[in-house]
Amino acid sequence: MAAGLKTVIFLSFVLAVGFLLIILSCALWANWLPLLVALTFVLAPLPNAIFSHCGADDFSDESVQPAAVDMGRFITAIVVVTGFALPLVLAHAGIIQPAACVMSIIGGSLVYGTILLYSVAFKQDSEEF
Amino acid sequence: MSGVPQHQYDPRRLFVFACPTLPFSKYKRSIGVYIAGGLFALAHWMFWDAAIVSAHAQPPPDAPYDTVPVHVTFLDWVTGICSTLGLLVVNLINKEHLLSGDGYGQDQAIVWRARLFLFIGFALMAGGLAGSVTILVLKYILQEFEDKYVYYGYANVVQNVALMLSAIVLWLAQHASTEYEYNLTL
Repeated sequence: MAAGLKTVIFLSFVLAVGFLLIILSCALWANWLPLLVALTFVLAPLPNAIFSHCGADDFSDESVQPAAVDMGRFITAIVVVTGFALPLVLAHAGIIQPAACVMSIIGGSLVYGTILLYSVAFKQDSEEF
Repeated sequence: MSGVPQHQYDPRRLFVFACPTLPFSKYKRSIGVYIAGGLFALAHWMFWDAAIVSAHAQPPPDAPYDTVPVHVTFLDWVTGICSTLGLLVVNLINKEHLLSGDGYGQDQAIVWRARLFLFIGFALMAGGLAGSVTILVLKYILQEFEDKYVYYGYANVVQNVALMLSAIVLWLAQHASTEYEYNLTL
């Protein structure tokens, strides 16, 4: 599992860089509002994860999906766009600096990308057996 | 409008060229739902951006005793609320109730009620859109403010347009069959 180990180390490094960027974007200008961006991106996969377990595990027909799974995807998309939009809105109104906005967006994307890659790379494929 | 989907060799097909199917047809539904959610959030954040800028608006530093001429008030929020309600109403309808049933007496009442709610939902969304354009023209453009204040009106219109697009994308994504081409009959 050397490939798995290297992937874990790489992903955790990227996650740390992402959090570093977000914390720097708050600390450099002494305005702790961009921390909300980190919170938003961390919460983003949660609706998808919760609602996907309402999915049709017993059915073999993949095209029929319950509305709850769609609801989870909808809410996840809302939270992800909120994570991008919140720093932009704050920077537009002049509450945070534009550089802080850019840094927190990049950091947040790294955090969310890491979470996504982690869930894709280490998905439990129990249906193989 | 037949319920049977049309393939390329179908003699009932109307046009010479068949509509090409996209390679990701299995994921059409989830991509559509994600896009609809993104549009929904974009719409609301567009408007909240205008509202937040309006709340923090200061007079220009070289004329500190001027007043800011216009702010975002509750009137601007009404159209967004109207469109969101319309989106909720349209997308919570169960589509099977819209197709005509076999003609049982009870089914006809359900079909009629489903179509009524669909009409109400779309009327709410269209009303929100029309209202936002009205507010843009009457409150912002006719008074000839600077561009940064007219932005509040444009943000309101963008919000309602994006909400309507989100409702349409969500409707199409949920009601398109995954195997065949889009069946756009209601």
